[in-house]
Amino acid sequence: MTHSLWRQHILPFTLLLGLLAAATLAGDTLLHRLNLVWVGRYLGIPGTILIIGSLVYSLRKRQYITTGNPRTLLILHEFAAWLGSLMVLLHAGIHFNAILPWLATVAMGVNVISGMVGKLLLDRSRRHVRGQRDHFQLRGLSRPEVEQAVFWDAVTLDAMTQWRKVHIPIFIVFAVLSLGHIISIFLFWGWV
Amino acid sequence: MKPIVKVILAINLTVLAVLVFAYPHLMVGPGKLIPGHKELNADCFACHAPFSGSASERCVVCHKPAAIGRLTTTGQAVTKPLTSTPFHQKLISEDCMACHSDHAGVKRFRQQGRFNHALLKTDTRELCHECHKSPSDSLHQQITGNCGRCHGQEKWAPASFDHDKYFELDRDHTVRCVTCHVGNDYNRYTCYGCHEHTPANIRRKHVEEGIRDFDNCVECHRNADEHDIRGGRGKIEHQRKD
Repeated sequence: MTHSLWRQHILPFTLLLGLLAAATLAGDTLLHRLNLVWVGRYLGIPGTILIIGSLVYSLRKRQYITTGNPRTLLILHEFAAWLGSLMVLLHAGIHFNAILPWLATVAMGVNVISGMVGKLLLDRSRRHVRGQRDHFQLRGLSRPEVEQAVFWDAVTLDAMTQWRKVHIPIFIVFAVLSLGHIISIFLFWGWV
Repeated sequence: MKPIVKVILAINLTVLAVLVFAYPHLMVGPGKLIPGHKELNADCFACHAPFSGSASERCVVCHKPAAIGRLTTTGQAVTKPLTSTPFHQKLISEDCMACHSDHAGVKRFRQQGRFNHALLKTDTRELCHECHKSPSDSLHQQITGNCGRCHGQEKWAPASFDHDKYFELDRDHTVRCVTCHVGNDYNRYTCYGCHEHTPANIRRKHVEEGIRDFDNCVECHRNADEHDIRGGRGKIEHQRKD
């Protein structure tokens, strides 16, 4: 698959996702080395605030609010959600204590991936497959031959379209589970 | 979002909510409870007050301060005490959470099993021998009380005793205590415990300088620099020259 979807789009996407994983591991190691594990305990708060802040774009997109440049808000959405996710992942650490917050973390992970697929890849990938089809048609290939040539790209694109569909439902799951975790912390933890 | 997806979502979240109330220790509890509190697993509010966390007032309902270290919560004598002397009765305040945490997840953020002497009442804090036995070496056997002169309350070793006041332990003198203090007798020392100094070469060097009384090295030498004669007699001689 020379110049395929994989090399041009999915690989960079995977690297960005890998960077999130690497930053999480590096941050976690650093906190342990510097004996600052307690900092990770509180990173859930700014992480959650950043993720909530990133929703301004979602509100703008659905026209619940009318101010703000959608393009700028999209960039902020991606950045705040990525950074917020990093903080929440550091907050979760590698310690498995309760099931609910871990389900929330998993939901957040799926949400980040589906969001990245949706916003980072889908449009470009659609353009890529369309371009490939045009390219093969111009070279005189028949329709079945064109479909044969773009088969794996089309399959990848279909899979990505399915990912996009889980973004909103999984966000609701993430939001509810996170809310449950936050309520339980307020309910049982002594803040004073 | 399709209606079927909404229904599936609602069912899943409802199931999770039911699980939270049925198995709170698994769903929201920060790790396993200590074995002694295992029966409280599903009863979070036995220790936690809503929105204010766990409170010492709830601990002392079962763990009477006067009995801690002496009697169990069921009134039986403690057969294998964790400390040689009960000390909870001598604490400045009943703040159980200052030292104890029952959930495995919370324990990771706190240093467990480390006693903080600052939590003891002032008069008790100085009575080291009530909890600690004196070390059996010859130096400590001669001393009673006043441990704070050489040792801090954070940790026993290293002692806050300033060896440099008597002799600087520089890079040529990073040796075991017994090299100089033979038999762990800290009232005596010898400079002939290593290969560098021998009675013969020390005698020769001092006789050359006209010094005949050189048995007590630290009287003049407080470090490895043989020309830095700051000790008692050295100081006197310097003063005479001045």
